[in-house]
Amino acid sequence: MQATMTFWHKEWLAAWRNYHVLILAVVFVIFGIEAPLMAKLMPDLMKLALGNQLPIKLPQPTSSDSWQQFYKNTSQIGIFLLALIFSGSVSQEVSSGTLVNLVTKGLPRYAVIMAKYLVAVVQWVIAIGGSFLITWGYTAYYFPDDKSPHVWLAIWPVLLFGLFFIAVVLLGSTLINSNYAGFLVAALVFAGLALLNYVKAVKRWNPLALVTDNLDLVRGTEKITHILPACGVTVVAALVILGVTIWTFNRKRL
Amino acid sequence: MHNSDLFFNNLPLVVPLMLLELGLLVAALVSLYRRKTVRHGNRLIWTLAIVLVQPFGAIAYFIFGREVD
Repeated sequence: MQATMTFWHKEWLAAWRNYHVLILAVVFVIFGIEAPLMAKLMPDLMKLALGNQLPIKLPQPTSSDSWQQFYKNTSQIGIFLLALIFSGSVSQEVSSGTLVNLVTKGLPRYAVIMAKYLVAVVQWVIAIGGSFLITWGYTAYYFPDDKSPHVWLAIWPVLLFGLFFIAVVLLGSTLINSNYAGFLVAALVFAGLALLNYVKAVKRWNPLALVTDNLDLVRGTEKITHILPACGVTVVAALVILGVTIWTFNRKRL
Repeated sequence: MHNSDLFFNNLPLVVPLMLLELGLLVAALVSLYRRKTVRHGNRLIWTLAIVLVQPFGAIAYFIFGREVD
C-alpha cells in the first residue's frame, strides 16, 4: 500500500506536467456546457440553415435533448479521449527505461499498475462527475420540465464503464510496447462489444449497455435493473483485466 | 434571427466556452514556443492547427505534438 501511494504521487505529478489533467478538465467542462447549449440552439440553428420555409413547426427543446447530447459526447468522444491520454501510460515508461531504477530499488511491480490505474480512475471520476454536474445545473435552469425524471441514475453506468475501459487501456499498454497500443486495444475491445450487441441473447450482459442505454434510463423508459447483469459483467471484467495486467507486467522485461 | 442574436441570447453558456477555449489556446501556444522541438510535423503546422481548429488543435498538440520532457 505504501509503495502504491509513493508511486501514486509520482503519477499525479506526471499527469499534471503532461497536461493530462488540463486536457481532461477542459474537454469535460466543454462537454458539460455544450450539451445544454446545443439543445437550446438546435431549433434556432435549423431555422438559420433552412430559413422560414420549414413546412413543420419545430418542437421546443427539452431537458431530454440536453442529456442526449451529454451522453453522446461522453460515450462517443469522452471515453476515447480517456483511452488516448492513458494509452502510453505503461509502454512509454518501459521504452524509456524510467521504471528500472524504481523496481530494482524495491518498488513492487503491482504497485506501478495499481497506482496508474487509481490515478486514471480518479481523473475519470472527477472529469465525468464535474461534466455531469455542469450539464445538470444548466439543464435544470434552462429546461425545467419533467422529461428527465431519473437524471441521477443514468450517470453511474458511464462511470462504471470508465473503470472497465481504463483497465483495458492499461492492459494494452502493458502488452505492447507502443504509445498507441492502449488506445488501439481499447478501440478493438469497444468494436468487439459493439459487434456482440447484435446477438440478442447477450445484449443485457454486454458492458456496452452501460454507455448506450443512458437516455432511456434518464427518461425512465428503462429501469436500472435491466442493465444490472451488464454492470456485474463490467465489474468482474475490470477486476480480471486488472489482474491480467499485473500478471503480464510481473513477467515483462523492463 | 441573426448570428449575433444566438450569441447574445446564450451568454451564460457561450462566454465560459469561449474562455475555456481561449485558455487552452494560450496554454498550447506557450507550451509549443517554450520547447525546442515538436513531435509529428513542425511548429508552423501546430500553430495553425492550434489557432484554426479549436479546441481540437490544441488537444491534438498536447497529445501528439508536445515533446515529452
